Amino acid sequence: MTSTYTGPPAGTATAVPAVVATEVTKVYGSGDAAVHALRGVSVGFARGAFTAIMGPSGSGKSTLMHCLAGLDTVSGGQVRLGDAEITRLSDKQLTLLRRDRVGFVFQAFNLLPTLSAEQNILLPLELAGRRPDRQWFDQVVDVVGLRDRLSHRPNELSGGQQQRVACARALVSQPEVIFADEPTGNLDSRSGAEVLSFLRSSVREMGQTIVMVTHDPVAASYADRVVFLRDGQIVTEIDQPTPATVLDVLKSLGG
Amino acid sequence: MLKTTLAGLAAHKLRLLLTGIAITLGVGFIAGTFVLTDTMQNGIDTRFARSADKVDAAVVAKKGAAQGEIPVDLLGRIRALPGVTDAQGMVRGDAALVGKDGKVVGDFSTVGLSVPSGRLLRYDFKQGKAPAGPGEAVVDDKTAKRQGFKVGDTVTVFDQKVRPHRFRLSGIADFGIDQDAGYRGAVGFDPATALAMTGQKTYEEIDVAGGGLGEITKVAGGGFDVVTGKQLGERLAKSAGADMQVIRTGLLLFGLVSLLVSALVIYNTFTILIAQRMREMALLRCVGATRRQIFNGVLAESVVVGIVGSLLGLVVGAGLGGGALVLINWLGADMPSEGLAFAPRTAVIGMVVGVLVTVVSALLPARAATRVAPIAALRADLEPGSGRFRLGWARTTLTVLLGGLGVLAALYGSLGMEKGETAMYLVALSGGLIFLAVIALMPALVRPLGGLAGVIPARLGGVPGRLAVENARRSPRRTATTTIALTIGVGLMSLFAVVAASGKATSSAQLEKQFPVDFQLETHVGDEQKPVPGALVGELRKLPQLSAVTIMREQEVRVGDSDSHVGSVTQSSLGTVVKPQFKGGSVADLRPGTVAADENVAKSRGMRVGQTVRVATPHGAVPLKLVATVSGDTPLPTFLMTESDFTRYFGAKDPEAVYLNAKDGQSDQARAAIENATKPYPAIKLTSAADIKAQYTKALDMVLMIFGGLLGLAIIIALFGIANTLTLSVVERTRESALLRALGITKRQLRRMLSVEALVMAVIGAFTGVALGVVFGWAITNAMSKTSVFSLPYLQIVGFMVLAGAAGMAAAVLPARRAAKASIVESLASD
Repeated sequence: MTSTYTGPPAGTATAVPAVVATEVTKVYGSGDAAVHALRGVSVGFARGAFTAIMGPSGSGKSTLMHCLAGLDTVSGGQVRLGDAEITRLSDKQLTLLRRDRVGFVFQAFNLLPTLSAEQNILLPLELAGRRPDRQWFDQVVDVVGLRDRLSHRPNELSGGQQQRVACARALVSQPEVIFADEPTGNLDSRSGAEVLSFLRSSVREMGQTIVMVTHDPVAASYADRVVFLRDGQIVTEIDQPTPATVLDVLKSLGG
Repeated sequence: MLKTTLAGLAAHKLRLLLTGIAITLGVGFIAGTFVLTDTMQNGIDTRFARSADKVDAAVVAKKGAAQGEIPVDLLGRIRALPGVTDAQGMVRGDAALVGKDGKVVGDFSTVGLSVPSGRLLRYDFKQGKAPAGPGEAVVDDKTAKRQGFKVGDTVTVFDQKVRPHRFRLSGIADFGIDQDAGYRGAVGFDPATALAMTGQKTYEEIDVAGGGLGEITKVAGGGFDVVTGKQLGERLAKSAGADMQVIRTGLLLFGLVSLLVSALVIYNTFTILIAQRMREMALLRCVGATRRQIFNGVLAESVVVGIVGSLLGLVVGAGLGGGALVLINWLGADMPSEGLAFAPRTAVIGMVVGVLVTVVSALLPARAATRVAPIAALRADLEPGSGRFRLGWARTTLTVLLGGLGVLAALYGSLGMEKGETAMYLVALSGGLIFLAVIALMPALVRPLGGLAGVIPARLGGVPGRLAVENARRSPRRTATTTIALTIGVGLMSLFAVVAASGKATSSAQLEKQFPVDFQLETHVGDEQKPVPGALVGELRKLPQLSAVTIMREQEVRVGDSDSHVGSVTQSSLGTVVKPQFKGGSVADLRPGTVAADENVAKSRGMRVGQTVRVATPHGAVPLKLVATVSGDTPLPTFLMTESDFTRYFGAKDPEAVYLNAKDGQSDQARAAIENATKPYPAIKLTSAADIKAQYTKALDMVLMIFGGLLGLAIIIALFGIANTLTLSVVERTRESALLRALGITKRQLRRMLSVEALVMAVIGAFTGVALGVVFGWAITNAMSKTSVFSLPYLQIVGFMVLAGAAGMAAAVLPARRAAKASIVESLASD
């Protein structure tokens, strides 16, 4: 990585949260078979901050992210993204919201196999019919180090490169929030560290807001703040985490 | 292993149905053909058996002889035999009925038949009864209805010397399954009157009641067959059934086309299914299944699909056969039906063909399944479709070999060879070869053709449009097989359309060039042309609306050592109004003492320009010099001489045909004037060039429509193929679609993506078909004859493309709905 880490710039993390969940519940199935994935989660994610959501398997962390991002509907409570209460939006409005205001990095299968790296990066902008800001595009491409890979197709890229393309795609449209679901889950530790550090630098240097779901304490330690979930509820959170502090909390949660 | 297969099938009923539907439709066509033709044959058999019941014995022509030609005096000798209670001669010929408008009915004169009274009467009467004497006649029910004739009316019928006779209608008959009578209409008389009216000298058949077969045979002599009533019924049914055989063979050919398309669809579906179930196969291999067991498993699956599909196909076939029967009857044919005939043979053939086609189509995919390595179960799944395709050596060799041979054969057949049937067969053969080459080459064509077909959708459809075009191109093999299935139907359709259009153009081009007349007058009482009265010609010459009156006179005489038509046309019109194409000489060379011969006849008889031809005349044989040959695309007589020569040798005969040209812009007035002039001559038939052209066009369009209907099923099967491929692709791309949805593609855009993908596939298939169809239409037209004119039916061709595209998009509706319904979160999690 060429970017230099200069510490948190002043005033990037403002008091107004980018995403707020209020008493969010999510129930799958009904009657005896009902599974309560979320049991009244209230949490806010600060603008310009890098927040990690952690928890043991089945804690509801992925479900929470899906509800926050408008990928899934909630059973109760509300989610606000900026000025939009996304729990009241129709499928079409949700789609447009995701297209215009949200970025995604998934664990795997982030890219369309028929498109080149460059086309994949520009996909959300083109879907929205927005002209890409060439300068910004160049900057993002250089940050993720993909300049010489732009014309390659996903199957010609390594796993780490693919994930960097996904990050570039999320960054290039300058969304209000980027949701990352286990972005390093399929990567070796070196590629994982690369991806995480420029996710962090995009927050520090570009003022991006990122919410990341992970089960890896090292990955969580790149965030400004970690929120812990267990059995569908927020149990605790820590600021300025290190792998050790995260691991301690996880141990105490029995995960 | 079998249990696993069956359990798998039961768990995926939709998959089973999708695969089976192609075979259901193919088998349905075959079974439907049998059901339809069997039902019609049954009806015919029953009806003839019933009518022949009344006959104890019949004297008929020897097997194989075209006509009875039974001498009239034989009837008397049979009647005199002991035990014979009744015997009647059957007469069949022409007898032109005059309609209510004072003109001869129909384009061909009506058939004249004998209708005996008494026991041997074999026709049913809708109204009234058989003619009781020379003053009575009956007509068939359709003609009666069309003309508004009722029992008791007086009708006029021409005899063969164009003399009018008046009859009282005693009844309206149903002449049954007599194609000729059904098409032309028929008038029935008592046997003696029938002989007089039709001019026949002999009977077609003598029906006998009572008497012994042996005695009748003795009297009849060896020249004829004597059969029982039952045998007569069988014979009559067989001769009517000969047509049924032709119909059946024709329909089965189209059925084969449908089955071929079914086979392609099944092959493709199995290939995709195997690719998608790689994990499953590998897991089976991991737990100890041998390659053989995997192979057998896939084959067993195809057998089940074949059986289920074929069984459903038999049901569909019964429906199609019944539906076709209803349609045929609704269109005006009077097909007797004794209930749908579903013979065991139909079921056996349907099942065997259906299962065989399915299993054979699944052989290659089954072999591919055995190549799955056990380790594939553990590997992370590969993304489907790399979008790249390289022609392997096998495909390259096939393409070059078949394509090269095909192109050479097509070029030789259409350009090099002597025109005619052989050249056409060669072109057809080359068509088959090139089609095989296209099958081999198709995967390599998918990317360029897909790009071409996708130009507009990619431009207009935004990102979803571009993605859709890419998706259509990403699995070249799969898209190739899917589209080839459509190519077959559309290709044959375009081929027929081009050949039909070219046929139309050819026929009118030659006539317009060499024989540009506006109207034609002929006397219309039977097969043989009767002269047009000279008095009428004189009146026509006085009409101011006409620019030219051309008469053609003919005489059948011996020319050289065989009979030919010798004739003349109005001298002043030759080369000015009618411009036959002279070869080896010109119109000016045709002077008294010379003759010009039809090109084809001259060739077949080995006559050369410059030689002397001997023409027999009432004044003895005359030597005439052959000065030219004439192209045979006009109604001119075989041997054309000058008018003065003709009059000298054969006298001032009335003309056989009169051709009229209207003055410019006075076509309608001319027609009215001609109609007025011919009013006193009911037997004169006026046809205009425009009428003939319209009739020909209508007939060709009808044939084309029937072909279209029959090929329609092959096209529908191909569309199911597209739907199949899309459905399976949707399953394969679940996560991809979910990703797109997460990134901001709306449900509608996702649905549209699939429609566009289907559109691109359909257009690739249709375009390939149209291209092949047009090229081979051109080649066949060229091979047909020297004078054929190629004509491209633009509108139809464009119509095929548009229809194929629209149908392809319709095929995408269900898969698209399915794709859009999937939950994003669940789809992202699935693998």
